[in-house]
Amino acid sequence: MTIYEAEVPGVGHKFELELDGDERLVVIIHHDGKRDVYRRPDPDADSERLFSLSDKQARQFGSILEGAHFQPVDLDEVEVPLGDSLIEWYDIDESAPIVGETLAESNLREEIGVSVVAIQRGEATIANPEATETVRAGDTLVVLGTREEQHEFEEQLDA
Amino acid sequence: MAALLVELGVALVALALAGIAANRLSLSVIPAYILVGILVGPNPPTEVAGLSLQIVGYGEFVELAAELGIVVLLFFLGLEFSVGQLLDDRRRIASAGAVDFLLNFGIGVAIGLAFGRTPLETLLLAGIVYISSSAIVTKTLIEQGWIANPEADPVLGTLVFEDILIAVYLAVVAALVTGTGGLSGAVVDVGVAFAFLGGLALVAWYATRFVESTFDLPSDELFLLSVLGTATLIAGVALSIGVSEAVAAFFVGTAFSQTSHTERIEHVIAPARDLFAAFFFFSIGLQTDVTLLAGVAGLLAVAVVATTVTKLTSGAISGRIYGLSPTRSLRTGLALLSRGEFSLIIAALVVSAAGSGNDALADFAPVVTAFAVGYVLVMSVLGTVLVQYADVITGRLVPLLDR
Repeated sequence: MTIYEAEVPGVGHKFELELDGDERLVVIIHHDGKRDVYRRPDPDADSERLFSLSDKQARQFGSILEGAHFQPVDLDEVEVPLGDSLIEWYDIDESAPIVGETLAESNLREEIGVSVVAIQRGEATIANPEATETVRAGDTLVVLGTREEQHEFEEQLDA
Repeated sequence: MAALLVELGVALVALALAGIAANRLSLSVIPAYILVGILVGPNPPTEVAGLSLQIVGYGEFVELAAELGIVVLLFFLGLEFSVGQLLDDRRRIASAGAVDFLLNFGIGVAIGLAFGRTPLETLLLAGIVYISSSAIVTKTLIEQGWIANPEADPVLGTLVFEDILIAVYLAVVAALVTGTGGLSGAVVDVGVAFAFLGGLALVAWYATRFVESTFDLPSDELFLLSVLGTATLIAGVALSIGVSEAVAAFFVGTAFSQTSHTERIEHVIAPARDLFAAFFFFSIGLQTDVTLLAGVAGLLAVAVVATTVTKLTSGAISGRIYGLSPTRSLRTGLALLSRGEFSLIIAALVVSAAGSGNDALADFAPVVTAFAVGYVLVMSVLGTVLVQYADVITGRLVPLLDR
């Protein structure tokens, strides 16, 4: 999606967003913060003004559109979309018993029930690692499991 | 002091009421402010039903506030002047701007000569009829929603070109009207103006980082004082050596245009601009003697008709240069029709030059004021009204163009 930006002398800034086909959304940001939003169905059509918002309204509206606006709720009420499972990140330091073992040797899935879904090693991320992958000190393991299994795994790391 | 304060209060209240009325009628506030000045000023009409209407005199305060109005108007023009936009789109802007200049300045020269004006007077008349009003044109674009349409490009491009041209034009004309006379004198005066303004432009271009850090002030109050002080001081120095204060203010504005202060200036200093600009239009009204309009009626009528046609034509050609449809091209011309602040700034320049001893302009100054005021009143109202009937007009004219 291409976004065009232009200065409008005496007014502010103009942004044009390409939507599907030739349709465009045109946003004028005035110097006083007011936003006018227009829709232009195709290049030959006139833009129709959809709505105008003040600076504050526009920011709140923007965060809703962005998906960043949410109401915090209690942790107990959180429904994890993976059934009962959670995904947790663990930093592996040298003292962890798992260091030097391959995933197969560590036998995490049989013993505890958790699965290692990815290993972050420096800049690289090994997604869906092979059973022959060796865990090294400094790795970050991305682990899928229930809350109890995660707890058990964490205790094992500290042992 | 009490009498002066009441006078000022009357002026401000009258301006506010006129502005509210203009808003109700969807017209620009500029003609409203001028009319208020004519109404309450020392010139006719002087009374209504036995009540004196000579309430506000053209005193030193109004004169100074109006002068500040010119400085801040041009300062903002410089501030909003986008070098980037100009460079990115230079070929189309140059073509559209050249067509606009040749047709509209050209018709002004033709009218001036046809009415037997001197070369200097012709140059002034041409400037007055040439330049569109940035303030009214951008307001029109927003209110019509055209700002989000392709026709905004040629309109804004033409305004950018006119901005540069008016800077050069004012620099030349200011030097000519305040000058010592004679061809060699004029060349020297213009040379001095360009040397000073060229230097200022260079400083403006290279001083971005300095301006950035110097004006990085914590409080809005100090920011307002510093920016306004700098612009006024440099404009004052320019004027005292016979260089256009308006153009000096324009370049001070451009020095800020590349910094991060632009948004803050729009918030903090725009109210000061609106106040002083209102005084500028008001003072033009105060100085206008409407009885002189009778003497320029023929000139005015010819100018209104001819320049309406040329502006519509040049706008339509500019739209074509930008590859727009006939309807949008015509809208470009309609949007640019309004003349306003710059035409009046040119007239004010003549008046102040005549006031400071240029005898060659003594007779012409009242005439040019009456003409400029009459012309701006007609063109600003005509422009905004015609734009509101744009669909009807383009509906009628486009079939003619399409053949």
